[in-house]
This record gives sequence, structure tokens and C-alpha cells, in this order.
Amino acid sequence: MAYKRQFYPGESIPAKNRRNYMDPKHKLKVLRNVAMDDVIRIMGHRNPGEDYKSIHPPIEEGKEPDCPIRKLVEPIEGAKHGDRVRYIQFTDSVYFAPISPYQRAWMYLSRYRGVDTGTLSGRQIIEVRERDLERMAKEFIDNETFDPALTGIRGATVHGHACRLDEHGLMFDGWQRYVWDDSKKEVVYVKDQVAIPLDRRISVGKPASMADLKKRTTIFRADGVDMRDDKEVTEYGLRIHKLRTLGGYQPWKVKGE
Amino acid sequence: MAAPTEQKVEYAGKPLPEVQIVTNRLLSAETTEKLLNALDVIPGIRQINMTGESLPKTINSGPGKGYANNHSERRVIVVGGREVELRYLVGAFYIELEVEDEEELEVRLDQIKAACNENIEHGYTMQVGRYSKYRPTLHDFRSA
Repeated sequence: MAYKRQFYPGESIPAKNRRNYMDPKHKLKVLRNVAMDDVIRIMGHRNPGEDYKSIHPPIEEGKEPDCPIRKLVEPIEGAKHGDRVRYIQFTDSVYFAPISPYQRAWMYLSRYRGVDTGTLSGRQIIEVRERDLERMAKEFIDNETFDPALTGIRGATVHGHACRLDEHGLMFDGWQRYVWDDSKKEVVYVKDQVAIPLDRRISVGKPASMADLKKRTTIFRADGVDMRDDKEVTEYGLRIHKLRTLGGYQPWKVKGE
Repeated sequence: MAAPTEQKVEYAGKPLPEVQIVTNRLLSAETTEKLLNALDVIPGIRQINMTGESLPKTINSGPGKGYANNHSERRVIVVGGREVELRYLVGAFYIELEVEDEEELEVRLDQIKAACNENIEHGYTMQVGRYSKYRPTLHDFRSA
């Protein structure tokens, strides 16, 4: 029996957005165009134009051991070339950021191959072979899951996601990696993701309005869409809770649930 | 806490009313300076404590450790002609009032509200109570 893949229950706006962000067939809207060289500068793993460093010879050289799994799996570009594994980490504000860390994990794993991702309370790291990472990082910054004010690119000390916003509506950052450009009304990166100063200012565009963000967010909030108002989402949460509790406590009762 | 430099804590010894102001947004150094100067002229304020989110002087972890942070809001502000080193992006004020009776308290609260309404653009919440200690405890006698 062939199942049709399902992503997330519910009819509320955050539930629909969660589905859309996870569904690889759903094309995410591109809202800005940050140059690839600038993305590389913000990540800070290599200088633009510099060769990729490698940690093993290219796979095509044929020195791989005879392994059925290796024959089965098509390597991603970076793996073919033996690139290093590098990372980018995003912080998402609790104030209606377009996406939140846990949904980032769902999105990454649903849309991309060859990634390792980790969720923490306010941040989401993704580790991939370098050239694939750069391509993905540009997509993450350009598309609708990024907001200049409420999404931060922070490799370390991400503290700020749950703090109040500053007077310009920017998520707090003790290291001030990005600043508000009052003349252009844009957010500008002045430091890379680990707060080493950049040699040029990189604009990531204008922040979205709160009305727009409430349509784009995946976050259920009491002052936005309350999770309890979405019946199907609530039932889904309760069902998982019940099955997990039974599974750990009286596993024979799970039968038939 | 952005305490005025060279100031030692002096407790009132009795629980004077304290006004807690929590702002809806974290305030820039400029707004903090303006607000403090507006509060400074109100009589009967014994002391003002502030708190918020810490702004480190240097990058304190990661590959950039040791670099100067150069945060635009970490700077010296001038309040009532006196320099105050701001090390926080301020989000709350605790104003201790030396007042004789309820009537005087109401007058001072109105003055504080007026100063806040004029300077805090994105709103705030205000409560009167007691939020910090008013006499020395063991902690005050510990060695540095």
C-alpha cells in the first residue's frame, strides 16, 4: 500500500506554514538576493574566491572501499570533492519570526540530503559539506524563512531569541553582528556569524511588517494564533503525548490505539 | 546594573516605595540618557537602579574571543552632569522614592509617568512595590 506523505496537521496559519516549509514540492518565496560572496563572508569559513579545503581525495579517484551502501547512495557535490564539513546557525526570535528552530530541523531534513542538524532552545545549526552549505545558506537567507530583524545568523552566543526587541524592532544581540541602517531602513551585517568584524557592510534588506510576519510565521502564540484554537493540532499533540506515556509506562495498552 | 561610578550602596533602612518600570522594548543608550535626565529633575527620588541585557566589552567566546565588541549602545551617558557607564541595553528601572505620605507618592508617580510617556516610545508597564532589599545583609559584608 502506497502512503501519501503527510507533513503537519491543522488548518490554522502557522500549521499551514509548517506544512509548506517542510514540503519539498512547495517552492519557497524568494524575498531578497544577497550575493553569494556576501553569504560566504557572513559565514566566515573561507574568503570569497578561495579554493575549498578538502579532507579526503575526490570520490571519483576510486579509492573507496567496496561497499553496497556507497554504491546505493549518490554523494552530494561537496562529498564528491572531499570538502570540509562547515556550518551555519540561525537564531529565530519568539516574536513571530517566520520559522522557529524545531521547524527548521523538520524543513532541513525534509528538503535536503547530506545534512546534519541540531536543535537548541533558540537556535538551529546545520552542518553540511562546504560547497553545498554555501548554496543552502544563500537559499535560507534569500527565502521567506528569513527576516532581517527577527532572524539572526549567529555561530556563537546566540542569546536574544527570547529577549525583548530593541527600539528598531531588531532581536537583541549582545555582540551586535547586525545594525539598523536608519537612512535606508535596512538591516546591515557588520560582523560575521562569530562576531569577527567584516571588511564591508552587508545589507540583508528591510524587515517585514508585523502583519506580514503573522501570516508567515510557524509560531503559535497566545497573542497570535493559539495552538488550542487549532483542533487538529491539539488532537495530534495529545495523541503523541498519550502514546508516549503509554509506551513508557504500560506499553501493552498501545495496541489498538 | 549600570551603577553610577564611585557610588557605594547606601540603604534607606526602611522599605520605601519602589517604582518598577519594565519597558516593552529594550532602550537605546540615547533614550536611556533622555529618560534618566527627565527623571533626575523630579524631587524625592532616592535612587534609580537599572537592568537589562548585558553588552560585553570584548567578544567572550568563539573564534573571535578577545576582539573588541564595539557595541554602539555600550557607552558613557551623562545624567545630571554626571557620567554613567552603561554596560546594559536597559529594559527595566527601579526607582526608590523618599516620600512622606500617599499624596506625595501620587504626585511623584504622575511626574514619573509623564517623563516615561514622553521618552519611552514603545510603551512600558509600571508597578509600585518593593523589589530590592532596603537594609544590608550578609552579602554586603563579603570580601571582594
